[in-house]
Amino acid sequence: MYQLFLIALRNLAQHSKRTLLLGGAIAGVTALFVFLLCLSSGIHQTMLESATTLSTGHINVAGFYKVTAGQSAPVITQYGKLEEIVKRTLPDLDFLAPRGRGWAKMVSDTGSMQVAIGGIDITHEPGFKRVIHVLDGKLEDLSQPGTILIFKEQAKKLDVKVGDPVVLSAQTTRGVNNTIDVRVVAIAQDIGIMSSWNVFVPDASLKVLDQLNSETTGALLVYIKDLQRIPQDMELLRNAFSAAGYTLMDREAKPFWEKFQSVNREDWTGQKLDLTTWDEEVSFFKWQIAAVDGLMYILIVILLIIISVGIMNSMWIAIRERTREIGTLRAIGMQRLRVLSMFVIEAFTLSFLSTVIGAVVGLALSGLLNISHLNVPQGAEMFLMSNTFKFTLDFGHIVFAMGVITVCTTVVSIIPSIHAARMKPVTAMQHLG
Amino acid sequence: MKKLGLILAYSVLLLSSSISWSGDRLDKSKMVELLHGIDLRIRSSGDYKALFYLEQREKDKADLVHEGLVYRRDADEKLIILFTKPKTEAGKGYLRIDKNLWYYDPTVGKWERRTDRERIAGTDSRREDFDQSKLAEEYDPEFVGEEKLGNFNVWVLKLTAKPGVDVAYPVVKFWIDKATSNDLKRQDFALSGRLMRTSYVPKWQKLYSESKKADLWYRQEIRIYDEVEKANSTLVIIRSVDLHPLAENMFTKAWLESKSR
Repeated sequence: MYQLFLIALRNLAQHSKRTLLLGGAIAGVTALFVFLLCLSSGIHQTMLESATTLSTGHINVAGFYKVTAGQSAPVITQYGKLEEIVKRTLPDLDFLAPRGRGWAKMVSDTGSMQVAIGGIDITHEPGFKRVIHVLDGKLEDLSQPGTILIFKEQAKKLDVKVGDPVVLSAQTTRGVNNTIDVRVVAIAQDIGIMSSWNVFVPDASLKVLDQLNSETTGALLVYIKDLQRIPQDMELLRNAFSAAGYTLMDREAKPFWEKFQSVNREDWTGQKLDLTTWDEEVSFFKWQIAAVDGLMYILIVILLIIISVGIMNSMWIAIRERTREIGTLRAIGMQRLRVLSMFVIEAFTLSFLSTVIGAVVGLALSGLLNISHLNVPQGAEMFLMSNTFKFTLDFGHIVFAMGVITVCTTVVSIIPSIHAARMKPVTAMQHLG
Repeated sequence: MKKLGLILAYSVLLLSSSISWSGDRLDKSKMVELLHGIDLRIRSSGDYKALFYLEQREKDKADLVHEGLVYRRDADEKLIILFTKPKTEAGKGYLRIDKNLWYYDPTVGKWERRTDRERIAGTDSRREDFDQSKLAEEYDPEFVGEEKLGNFNVWVLKLTAKPGVDVAYPVVKFWIDKATSNDLKRQDFALSGRLMRTSYVPKWQKLYSESKKADLWYRQEIRIYDEVEKANSTLVIIRSVDLHPLAENMFTKAWLESKSR
């Protein structure tokens, strides 16, 4: 085997031009594959971090309360009891954060827009500061009642700056119109699609607007230590709440605001709990991530086909050039299987070495762009939920990319190699080419 | 000296009280009667059909005009608001049955249950602008004073929602024409006390109702001004009121769906 490997290396070195061309192509495709996998992984991670800070926990204990059959509010009552059950049930609970949820019209002197309001206790959510990049004002001021954090695009649309007042106008859970006057204390950098309609006010202010008591909130955002346990923890919580006598809504992979229509159509009143995971709450733009992944795989498959055809052609040429050598080797007693292995190992060696180089190039490029904080085009910010590109370097992904390309290019070399192994020594030795 | 002071103080008190009572101040029963009168005049004992125009003006947006039909059967508290124009809105409609307000959108073919305090077609108009009135049932009146509103002498009442009654605006200020007892102006306040909208009713119309054996009054024109978004306003015009009996099976989802096809 070692001898075959040496022969492969020597042949690759002898045909340096062809080796460089093919190796370069394989390395290029590998670099692109690794780069795209790092990008895709980065998008997933940014999305998880942004979403789980802005609007959802890893698991959400939320629900709807209906005063009348046609009037639902996205609130949970007596959330202290629910907190107790969560703490009792989840073995790997990290922390819990109650978060108000509401809708309102935000009105300034010059414009208005419909917004989703997050009622937040900024002192108890340290992760919020990591994700929100404040451009103007102070995030800490959001602890004062009657304040609001808005995003750059919203500030531009409403023509407001820090210190300006805006009015939030909404209907309470009983359908009565109410308003609160709030002061802009922080304007944050846009972080994708969610920042186009999300604003944050102190939870107490949201309670005043929606006329909710202190034991009512929008959702309990549950953060756990091991994300792999989300399905099991979800099951544990569903069972625990059912056992405690709560009525649970059927699971539906939709954010809470997409459920209003179906909830309003149903004939019930009172409280129903709705347990969701973080990816269900952001499912409305997950298709975009899937589209990016899909495009990436289509591109890689096309490039793989091209380089496979190249490998195959080059093997055919090599076999033609080395027909007399094959005949001689067969004549001095080399078995067919050894001949086949010789060519396959040559293809494998070329592929493997090229994918290693390609992976290093792809990683270097991803790392470089990570450090340089490359700005995301404005249109792409919508679903990337970040203003800079982020690349996550995942060892598993790199091995996957190298493995796929090496296996593909090696497999396509088998057909020409079989042809070489089947040659009769006499015919091969008489070959003139 | 002390006695003189007491006499003077008593005289001032007497004078001031005689001034405050000399006006045409309404007591509570009179105010309730007034509100009840408005409710009764608007209420139709038989069926009601009218054509309406709804013009919506919003800042930085093109004006939008809706045309539609309102069907009422007040005795059963049934109501249909069916949009006929523009084309994009044609077939959409509201149906109130059994105290539930339903909204139908033919483009998705689905019914949605909506709150009774719904903004009609996203404008500043409410269901009650098209429906019968329940002022006496829903609000407690308080006398504010008398005013001159243009050429009209009016009473100004402050209405506060009765406990447990769900209304869109918990406090309403009402300007009622002394001569006709019709409301001419209305201001709606949010729970926070902020003024939300001001409506003017420049035109009232009446027609004789056979079933009621009396006149039925309706607000022919309502001008609603958004007080939060100052540039927004809504105009509601009611035309062609018809009090002939409607088909018995009209107030059903199936009927509204059939009109949407």
